Amino acid sequence: MDSKITEVSQMFDRFQASFMRKDYDTCDRLLSQLKVLLTEFKSLPPLFQETPNNIRELTLARHIYEYAVILSVKIEDQDAFERDFFQLKPYYTDARRLPPSAEEYPILGLNLLRLLVQNRIAEFHTELELLPPNALENPCIKHAVELEQSFMEGAYNCVLSARQTVPHETYVYFMDLLAKTVRDEIAGCSEKTYDSLSIKDARQMLLFSSDQELSEYIKEERTEWEIKNGFVFFQRSKESTPCKEIPSLQLINQTLSYARELERIV
Amino acid sequence: MTQDVEMHEQHPAPSNSYSSDSLSTLQHLKDIAALIETGAFSREVRRVVRAVRWTIQLRKKLNDSVLSAFLNYVLVPGSEVNSRLSSYITKDDEHDMEVDSATSANQAPAKHSLPEIEIYCYLLVLIFLLDKKRYAEAKACSSASIARLKNLNRRTVDVLASRLYFYYSLSYELTGDLAEIRGNLLSFHRTATLRHDELGQETLLNLLLRNYLHYNLYDQAEKLRSKAPRFEAHSNQQFCRYLFYLGKIRTIQLEYTDAKESLLQAARKAPRSAFGFRIQCNKWAVIVRLLLGEIPERTVFMQKGMEKALRPYFELTNAVRIGDLGLFKTVAEKFASTFSSDRTNNLIVRLRHNVIRTGLRNISISYSKISLTDVAKKLSLDSPNPVADAESIVSKAIRDGAIEATLDHANGWMVSKETGDIYSTNEPQIAFNSRITFCLNMHNEAVRTLRFPPNSHKEKESAEKRRERHQQEQELAKHIAEEDEDEF
Repeated sequence: MDSKITEVSQMFDRFQASFMRKDYDTCDRLLSQLKVLLTEFKSLPPLFQETPNNIRELTLARHIYEYAVILSVKIEDQDAFERDFFQLKPYYTDARRLPPSAEEYPILGLNLLRLLVQNRIAEFHTELELLPPNALENPCIKHAVELEQSFMEGAYNCVLSARQTVPHETYVYFMDLLAKTVRDEIAGCSEKTYDSLSIKDARQMLLFSSDQELSEYIKEERTEWEIKNGFVFFQRSKESTPCKEIPSLQLINQTLSYARELERIV
Repeated sequence: MTQDVEMHEQHPAPSNSYSSDSLSTLQHLKDIAALIETGAFSREVRRVVRAVRWTIQLRKKLNDSVLSAFLNYVLVPGSEVNSRLSSYITKDDEHDMEVDSATSANQAPAKHSLPEIEIYCYLLVLIFLLDKKRYAEAKACSSASIARLKNLNRRTVDVLASRLYFYYSLSYELTGDLAEIRGNLLSFHRTATLRHDELGQETLLNLLLRNYLHYNLYDQAEKLRSKAPRFEAHSNQQFCRYLFYLGKIRTIQLEYTDAKESLLQAARKAPRSAFGFRIQCNKWAVIVRLLLGEIPERTVFMQKGMEKALRPYFELTNAVRIGDLGLFKTVAEKFASTFSSDRTNNLIVRLRHNVIRTGLRNISISYSKISLTDVAKKLSLDSPNPVADAESIVSKAIRDGAIEATLDHANGWMVSKETGDIYSTNEPQIAFNSRITFCLNMHNEAVRTLRFPPNSHKEKESAEKRRERHQQEQELAKHIAEEDEDEF
């Protein structure tokens, strides 16, 4: 058993070294080898057998998976993140006798943020329920929760300013993705709310750094908008003329069903 | 008969009246045992169900001496079962003597070795221990009974078995070890499904859901629920419980309409005396309705027996109705402990959004034009940049269709649109249609469950009456024919 542990820890040290050097390809390769070696340990989930070294093995395995999660953020692979996070979760929930890990809350917060960015709000809330009540005090978790609230309310500039206050540097990737979603949302809201906006205001709201980018965005994504005399006009659907036609098919169906039911009344 | 003498004695001496009380309970228990026997022999489950119901009525009157006397009567004394069960009951020697002498005088206790009786004894002892709050012993007793159950496969035992599972789970829950039995419950559920034991399946599914929800594992609970086989509910209480758990899961998953339906149905179907359960259902139902944007009416909070418990939720509803964020925050903090014990804390946090929307709606209806700084002030948004926040919140609300307005960015104000004449649109038609279909559905269901009055087929029409009827019909037909001719 000990030899296996030493082998794994040595490989893990090499992994950490290449991680520091930002050599992500080597990291990836070493990670797959590490995962294969980890299957030999009997004390890990799902078996959870009691072996003499199980505390060391569990701590080592947990450390490896935490690094795997952070690696997946660096290489910007969301599927790998999800996989590694699911493998990491049993260590947090079931293996309670281990000393708490420093990375636990940042990683949990990271997962919440990922669910928010992917618009999986139901899963976001389910995950939130699983956290103990004092977890909400932790800055990483609090950050994610407040972000979700502001997003739901529509206070988008709160969302964007939160980017400055990330509790952990790994959050930056998801915040950038979130910024893009926010921009689409703002654009969608603006076209319903405003008749027209000056180019300066539009640029400010949609967070473009130059008029050029703004006009490109409009050309590609929002073709109904028009730029005239330094103003952006949002073409809204002609709601001024109320619909004069009667939804005849629906009315006919309804009336027929009334007649049928009334006939049935003895 | 010494037994009868003791029962009729009006002696004020406590020991005698005590034993007479315990004798009548003992007599009841013996009757129940006899009922179970007949039920087992004739394989009629109804009798066992009735027996269980009688037992529940007797719950309050159980005590050590009665139980030990009953056990000695029913089980072979010195048998393994008897000794195991008796070890849970503290022997009260003095009264023991009296009761023993009274009963042994007039009847040779019939020894039954029916498994039903055994399981029934387990159940009785378990209920007794739980009532006396001896949880550790209850745990041990229930585990022993479950082990015994594994070998049995009789339909008549199923009713007793489902009760046993329930108390098994309860005893573990009261000692805080619910996670341990999850694997066991799952295997029991499997066996129950294999044996087509529907009542057992229902009970076990509910127990499993309760287990998962206790630890907030909503994901796993939903997975189990969606895959488990569903069928017509056998027991009203189990169905109510199922609806409640379903409602809770749906709320967390943000499916508020389904959740509302389930929770309200559970609250309606629950028996009148189940106050604790109905209070819980109502609490969750109130929150779900607030999250959907509708305000529950005052009568919901004024139901008998539930006023005090629902008070925090009443104040919360008030805050949401007014749309005042400051008041909402005060209420949330004031009752934070109640909310956290009800596990509704996270849901309350979600309500903040609704409060803002309601506030916004009120503003938009009352003002035709209002500056954004004033909007921010009225909504009491506490943030570093309230005006910009207010602007984006308003624009999102407009996009979602909550209010009808437009924003003017250059001047920084919100202009509300005129609310048009609603009767010129299709809205009334749609509302009427939904009401009409509801009434017609209700009528159809009522017709489907119509029963003829039970004695109607016994009345035979006498010949006279028949002739009369015929005559009337002929006259009517002639009359109609004449009328038709006239009209033309």
